[in-house]
Amino acid sequence: MTFRLAAIAALIAFLFGLTVATFSELRVFLPALLRGATVTIEISIMSALLFWAMSFIAGIGRLNPIAPIRWASTVYIEVFRGTSLLVILFWFFFVLPSFGVVLTPTQAAVLGLGLNFGAYGAEVVRGAVTAVPSGQKEASAALNIPDWKCMLRIVIPQAIPVAIPGLSNLTIEMIKATALVSAVTLVDITFASVQQNQIHYRTLDIFLVALIIYYCFSQLIRFGGAILEARTTRHLARGQ
Amino acid sequence: MMDWRWDFTFDVVLPRLWEAAGITVYATVVSFAFALVGGLILMLLKMSAFKPISFVASEVIEFIRGTPLLVQIFFLFFVLPQVGITLPPLTTGIMAIAIYNSALTAEVYRAGLQAVPRGQWEAAVALNLSPYRTFRKIIIPQSLPPIVPALGNYLIAIFKETPLLSFVAVGEIMHASKLIGSEYYRFNEAVTIAGIFFLVMSLVSAALVRAAENYVKRSILH
Amino acid sequence: MTRPKIRFERVTKRYGALTVLDGLDFEVAEGEVVTVIGPSGSGKTTVLRVLMTLEGIQDGVIWVSGEPLNMMHSKGGLVPASKAHIRKIRSRIGMVFQNFNLFPHMTALENCIEAPIQSLGLSKAEAVERAMELLTMVGLTDKRDQYPSQLSGGQQQRVAIARALAMRPETILFDEPTSALDPEMVGEVLSVIRELAAEHSYTILMVTHQMGFAREISDRVCFFDGGKIVEQGPPDDIFGNPQNPRLQQFLSKVLEAR
Repeated sequence: MTFRLAAIAALIAFLFGLTVATFSELRVFLPALLRGATVTIEISIMSALLFWAMSFIAGIGRLNPIAPIRWASTVYIEVFRGTSLLVILFWFFFVLPSFGVVLTPTQAAVLGLGLNFGAYGAEVVRGAVTAVPSGQKEASAALNIPDWKCMLRIVIPQAIPVAIPGLSNLTIEMIKATALVSAVTLVDITFASVQQNQIHYRTLDIFLVALIIYYCFSQLIRFGGAILEARTTRHLARGQ
Repeated sequence: MMDWRWDFTFDVVLPRLWEAAGITVYATVVSFAFALVGGLILMLLKMSAFKPISFVASEVIEFIRGTPLLVQIFFLFFVLPQVGITLPPLTTGIMAIAIYNSALTAEVYRAGLQAVPRGQWEAAVALNLSPYRTFRKIIIPQSLPPIVPALGNYLIAIFKETPLLSFVAVGEIMHASKLIGSEYYRFNEAVTIAGIFFLVMSLVSAALVRAAENYVKRSILH
Repeated sequence: MTRPKIRFERVTKRYGALTVLDGLDFEVAEGEVVTVIGPSGSGKTTVLRVLMTLEGIQDGVIWVSGEPLNMMHSKGGLVPASKAHIRKIRSRIGMVFQNFNLFPHMTALENCIEAPIQSLGLSKAEAVERAMELLTMVGLTDKRDQYPSQLSGGQQQRVAIARALAMRPETILFDEPTSALDPEMVGEVLSVIRELAAEHSYTILMVTHQMGFAREISDRVCFFDGGKIVEQGPPDDIFGNPQNPRLQQFLSKVLEAR
């Protein structure tokens, strides 16, 4: 409920800000920020898809009975959680070419963000999968359902609602982290703000608008996550 | 295969990164210390009985948490001089990281306090303990086990956030690698070693946090 | 004597230093209804769990219809069974759990068709037809589209029985099927089990604390203590004329608690 109110309040604030901007001097820099916002959104969507996929692949991989798969998942998780995102972005953009892998700025940003947050998400998914009661796996075994089908049809569907709050928090963190993509020469909201600040020198207005745009994105994800959680737990809601 | 020069690594990269690592650690420790105190203040404001204060505090926390740290760093970096406050970039950066993480640690404190069952407060009242003794002897010992590991994780998170200071030219480890890269047109050694530095430090600190967690669990809850 | 449906041969199960089943020899004939009673920690539930292969055993062989379950024939000898072998033999056994273990994200009907489709490879139409027959038998056709959280405990356990039967097992294991139920719901579950026992087309192995029910439906009652069968026989002998002092003590405690 508070999420809903916060999201609505944020939207109203945003529309109000937009109106003010249209009829004031803010309009000199707003178009540049909104262009930056499209870059932020584009990067966010692509990275989020990679991040969610990696969360499930590595999170479930870490519980795999086959040891090498488990080790590979663990190494991936520890390496990408242990290093700093900015270092990862730099490494992908400036060091990877000397291995013969040349990435465009967008590719480097999406890969860096997706893999970095996928490592955090993997821990969320792993926690959610282990939270599924062992009786569910026993029932599947008693019904002779093969292990991989049990994972796919019994365990994961029950783990998803448990993982949603954690994953939606991480998605918010990831959108905030897209502010770093100027490190690989992309002009997102943050970098557009820095540029506009150098041109117009209206620091307070520019950065406040940038912060508000990010805040709206965060609230939208929070709102969406809450709706998704409510939908996926609907049939569990009524107690016995 | 990767182009890697060991002489360059030992003569240029390691000495300069070693120097910069000091600034990274300094920024981490100082911002963490401020965040510990700042979080306590924000938490107390949020739990204030006076509704407007608690409302404003929780909205401020929500706003700080909902926006990127990097933009907050830029904001302070550019706005403070305009209102007549001139600080070294490192100080501004530490301020930004501390404020951002105060909003996060405030939630940690709140969650820790709320984890103490209501019956414990009631028992303290029933035993006629003073508020000071209630906190000192009953509440704080029980809320520490969830708080300590969470704070430890924020210490590691802050450590990994310090590279953002390179955007405002603070000479920490990432900035040093960028400078080496642009001076010598070689990024491989500096960026890779910076990455390994963060990886090793994170793994070591994660192990330390786990040790602290176990220590607190054992020494407080028997 | 006919070939036993289930045979435990010197089966030993340990958890670390704790021996739960101690060289157990135990047989169940085809169509027989056997009830296992005993104090908690006596290993009675473990018998069902190792038979369902939910847990491995350290020593011994379990035979199902004359075929080894935890081992398999290879080059004239017995070697530890492969997963495929276990799956093949295990498909003859069904199990009903104390806590139902229904899939909470599936409706009653979906719970009953999941395994026949995924494990036996039935078409959806065939599986639904089979499931509806069984839901009719347990009296829950009107609840087919309800989720487990919308059903009472007794209804959930009846769905769980239908779900187990949908796999057409020859042997059904009941692990304290009424222990998690409110008292007023025990009857509806017992009457379903009673019906199955009366048919004698299934071999039934049940662990229960319902002594009256055990006496009523069983062909044979086994009293477990310390990982071994201490006494077994027809229900009237076990309950009416117990010989072993530990069984006498157990029964007097259970009856006292009434």
